[in-house]
Amino acid sequence: MIALKNIEKVYRTSTIETLALTNINLTVRAGEFLSIMGPSGCGKSTLLNLMGLLDAPSAGQVEIGGQPVTQYRDVDLARLRNQKIGFIFQSFHLINDLSVLDNVEIPLLYRKGDETGPSRRELARQALEKVGLSNRMKHFPSQLSGGQKQRVAIARAIVGQPAIILADEPTGNLDSAMGNEIMSILQQLNADGSTIVMVTHDESMAKRTHRLVRLFDGAMVGDSVLMLNEER
Amino acid sequence: MWNKKGSHLLIIVEILASFLVLFGVTSLIVYNLQNYQEPIGFEYKNRWALGFDARGQADSTIGDIMQQIKSRVLSYPQVESATVFSSNLPYSMNSSNGNVTNNKATVLAQQFRTDLDMPKTLGVPVLEGRWFDKSDELPDARTLVINAPLKKVLFGDEPALGKKIAFGGADDKRKSTDYFTIVGIVGNFKPRGEYQENLPGLFQMNKGQDRNYTRSMLLNVKPGTDAGFEAKLTRDLGLLTKGWPVEVSYLENQRTNQHNIALVPVIIFLIVSGFLLINVALGLFGVLNVSIAKRRGEIGLRRALGATERRISRQFVGEMWVLATFALVLGLLLAGQFPLLNVFNLKSSVYLTAIGVSVAVIYLLVTLCALLPSRQAATVQPAVALHAE
Repeated sequence: MIALKNIEKVYRTSTIETLALTNINLTVRAGEFLSIMGPSGCGKSTLLNLMGLLDAPSAGQVEIGGQPVTQYRDVDLARLRNQKIGFIFQSFHLINDLSVLDNVEIPLLYRKGDETGPSRRELARQALEKVGLSNRMKHFPSQLSGGQKQRVAIARAIVGQPAIILADEPTGNLDSAMGNEIMSILQQLNADGSTIVMVTHDESMAKRTHRLVRLFDGAMVGDSVLMLNEER
Repeated sequence: MWNKKGSHLLIIVEILASFLVLFGVTSLIVYNLQNYQEPIGFEYKNRWALGFDARGQADSTIGDIMQQIKSRVLSYPQVESATVFSSNLPYSMNSSNGNVTNNKATVLAQQFRTDLDMPKTLGVPVLEGRWFDKSDELPDARTLVINAPLKKVLFGDEPALGKKIAFGGADDKRKSTDYFTIVGIVGNFKPRGEYQENLPGLFQMNKGQDRNYTRSMLLNVKPGTDAGFEAKLTRDLGLLTKGWPVEVSYLENQRTNQHNIALVPVIIFLIVSGFLLINVALGLFGVLNVSIAKRRGEIGLRRALGATERRISRQFVGEMWVLATFALVLGLLLAGQFPLLNVFNLKSSVYLTAIGVSVAVIYLLVTLCALLPSRQAATVQPAVALHAE
């Protein structure tokens, strides 16, 4: 589903060069629920951004669905992000001026297809129902709790039915009860067929996934299949 | 975006103010341009104007002296033709006008007094009928030549030759001898030049007592006639008139002066409004830059969710267009009153064209102001833009 080959990411300014990722080789298979752990600044979010085509690697190749995308134009990358990938962020990234329903509808606005305004809204309603927020559609993000905001973000990630969901510390800003709730939703989405890659600091959340990748100083230092309890 | 009412109101007011100023300037420009497209109706090259100051001369003799002057100037080989003309000469600052009526419509018309040689001297073609001839010099001949705009106002598409008109309003009491018969129709006649409105006008034969009040003359001189001849002419005419001061002016120079009078206010207004528009553009540019900087996180999010760079640019330009549309609707409500109320007696087409041009310029200005910052924002990598929040 996602393959990273010999990935290297360097951040350059006029005076400083920072190596964020080096020699990353990782394949995420369809239907997997993979978690990425590591200390702050080790490159977890950078890795997720590269998988989500939000950033370009300095070297190496990213493949989505077997297709190398490194040379893709902006319009092709945007299409891939829109159709194949759903994002969930630690800080939710909801647009405060838009209602919950409007926030969830955003990915569908960028989709070239037959969806009309009413059908887009229906899909957004269905996504909100899936995360148990059908009674908050007209609310604005400022009127929601952290857990509710993250559920809106999940609804937005799944509204376009993408094959891959990338979650960057989705429970990081939530208390444990809310975090568990969000994790259950993600597990359910995975059970329904979504491939999920999640960055987390929380070992207990990582243990609820199928596979754990560990990073340290930009390098991959571990890759474990958790369901089989087998270190590789 | 749509919850930021305060800052948007500011932008709307700014755009509205720009539109109104632009509408004012454009109306002025369109008015002048429309006038410019109408021919002036006479020749000005190699035409000289002579003005006499008949100080201390008995009024009753002036007409005869003017006739002697005309005969003298025609004796010079440099002069091709000459005509006596009332003081409202082409490109002069003088004007003479009054109401004329055909008892149906009444209109304010420019009035010129001249003689048989005016068409030849100024190159004015007679479109219908004839110019004045010897028969019109008879005391009881009451004839007029009118211009095309006067014919249009008084008679529309109906023939005007042979019809009678009188000075004054439709309801004024008058005798049958107060009426004048139209014997000819000339085209336009715009004595103030290209930027003057194409106004109704009429020509009367210079005769009777009126001859003694007509102290100007127009000459058609041969190309290349220079200041040497002007000096000789002034000296000779001074001897003939026993010391009347003579003022010689070239219509070509007078034309330049009239153009300056018409165009300088437009240019000043244009410069002032140009600065205003630049200020507004910079203001909009600044407001949008700040707004886009504040919304970098949103831009990153939209890019992550599938928006292309072009789509992001279009979104910001579109948002500015919506604000501009709000401002322009308000502006149109105000500007629309000008053609409806016939303000300053200008044609509706002047205001409507000015409205159209102003709307187009405002949308162009807004697009240019929005395009650059939104393009810059859209080209930032989504990961970087998301990190900005």
